[in-house]
Amino acid sequence: MNPRYLALECRRIIRSGRFMIFSLVMPAVLFVLLSGLYGGKDARYEDGASVTAALMVSMSAFGAMSAALSTGARVAVERGGGWQRQLRLTPMSASTYLYTKVIVAMLVSIPSILLVSLVGAVFQGVSLSAGGWVVATAGLWLGALPFAALGLLIGLTIPADSLPAIMGVSSMLLALLGGMWIPAQVAPGWLSAIMKATPSYWFTQLGQSALYDNKHLVTAIMVLAAWTVVAGLISARRFAGSAARA
Amino acid sequence: MTSNATAPDGAAVRLTGLRKSFGDVHAVAGVDLHITPGEVVALLGPNGAGKSTTVDMLLGLTRPDAGDVKVFGRTPRQAIADGHVGAMLQDAALLEDTTVGESVALIAALHRKPMPVADALTAAGIADLADRRCSRLSGGQKQRARFAMALVCDPDLLVLDEPTVAMDVETRREFWRGMQRTGRTVLFATHYLDEAEQFADRVVLMREGRVIADGSVADIRSHVTGRRLTAVVDGADAAVLSALPGVTEVAVRGSHVTLACADSDAALRALLAAEPSARDIEINAMSLEDAFLALTTEGAAR
Repeated sequence: MNPRYLALECRRIIRSGRFMIFSLVMPAVLFVLLSGLYGGKDARYEDGASVTAALMVSMSAFGAMSAALSTGARVAVERGGGWQRQLRLTPMSASTYLYTKVIVAMLVSIPSILLVSLVGAVFQGVSLSAGGWVVATAGLWLGALPFAALGLLIGLTIPADSLPAIMGVSSMLLALLGGMWIPAQVAPGWLSAIMKATPSYWFTQLGQSALYDNKHLVTAIMVLAAWTVVAGLISARRFAGSAARA
Repeated sequence: MTSNATAPDGAAVRLTGLRKSFGDVHAVAGVDLHITPGEVVALLGPNGAGKSTTVDMLLGLTRPDAGDVKVFGRTPRQAIADGHVGAMLQDAALLEDTTVGESVALIAALHRKPMPVADALTAAGIADLADRRCSRLSGGQKQRARFAMALVCDPDLLVLDEPTVAMDVETRREFWRGMQRTGRTVLFATHYLDEAEQFADRVVLMREGRVIADGSVADIRSHVTGRRLTAVVDGADAAVLSALPGVTEVAVRGSHVTLACADSDAALRALLAAEPSARDIEINAMSLEDAFLALTTEGAAR
């Protein structure tokens, strides 16, 4: 693994307009807006969790998810444009190319989580236990891994020109069904069944464990791990297939 | 050059019995090629002759159906991993969201012993474009950026597929001046005959997946003998002209006459006697282009 290459790749992502808007500005602004509307200082859900803290975790998750997802998906652009052919003329192996994309996706999801958490702690008066903060930051960060793998799968499947549309729809759906924008508790029964099939729902559940003793934490970790393995394996197969055809 | 690549047989490139088919199309049908270090070799041929497929196999981007590729005695992949090969591909794109400097830096970061990015940009003649977005380059500038990416690993062998496509005449000349200064082994595919003529030590002519001629420009040119005579003749009659001694072929366009001559001296004397109006007479040696046409159409007639 090459630190200079990693740094250059991260810089490409971080300065893109898409990243700025969907992974940094939008989660932070939504967090401030929504907690202004519903949060109040002492607003609590029925289960006793602070609304502002819950919103903070959800928006961190949303930012990290869209950062990880869109980074992996950018493989589509490099695939279509012949950049991958150029890379095959370097010592980097095909598998290192894929691993690097996942690592970059994980690295660029850090600022999303940090920004929202900072806004929460400094401006919105969110207070969590030390363990809660670890879950809300490091825990969420690790939980973004399946979205890096999922993004990679999208990037290896979708042609570059339909990427913006697909990415817009899929991150919107994942956010809505994952209960990141609207709490899952208000969903009717049939909808909540669909929600529980998405990785984003369990990602949100993982985040909520920062607020209270979530009895679904183990399930969340298992589901997220399963999504990572499945999306990762399919991506690896697709990539090997496309390399063999070339 | 920092690395010292050596092969047991001293060859920079050795292709042996190389074959590749796509369906029923025999893109490469048995190519043998041996390039010694320091040679500048032009790979010449009409479209579909198998140049790009040969280049792809040389670089390990396409697996040959049969035959063997050795670059400095190694497999293409190993030679690339060792940083001995830099290549400029026809269809390799630049990253639209990066600057020229960043694109080259990305490639440099992946190699073990790259040259400084600034040096590669300077050698490619685009030092002033380092901060320009790749999406805002002209066709010729893009080619130079690709050249910088090929050069930045400081390779012993440069492989260039149609490197001067989209460059204007002046830019092309500059590009080749820069190239000759690098002093590396170079294999370039082109369809510009004048490029091969001016810049290659050796020309390899391909047609229908085979090498049909391989030698110096002078060698290739000697495949077509004789000279070409052009003149203006009022009321030119092709039958009369082709009966002149020493003339092998006649082309008449209005009063403009082109005669391919085995013996241009005899033809000229007879022409002036038979056609006193003949004027603006020029006699030239056959060009590489004539040789190229002769060799490629001769093959087609077989």
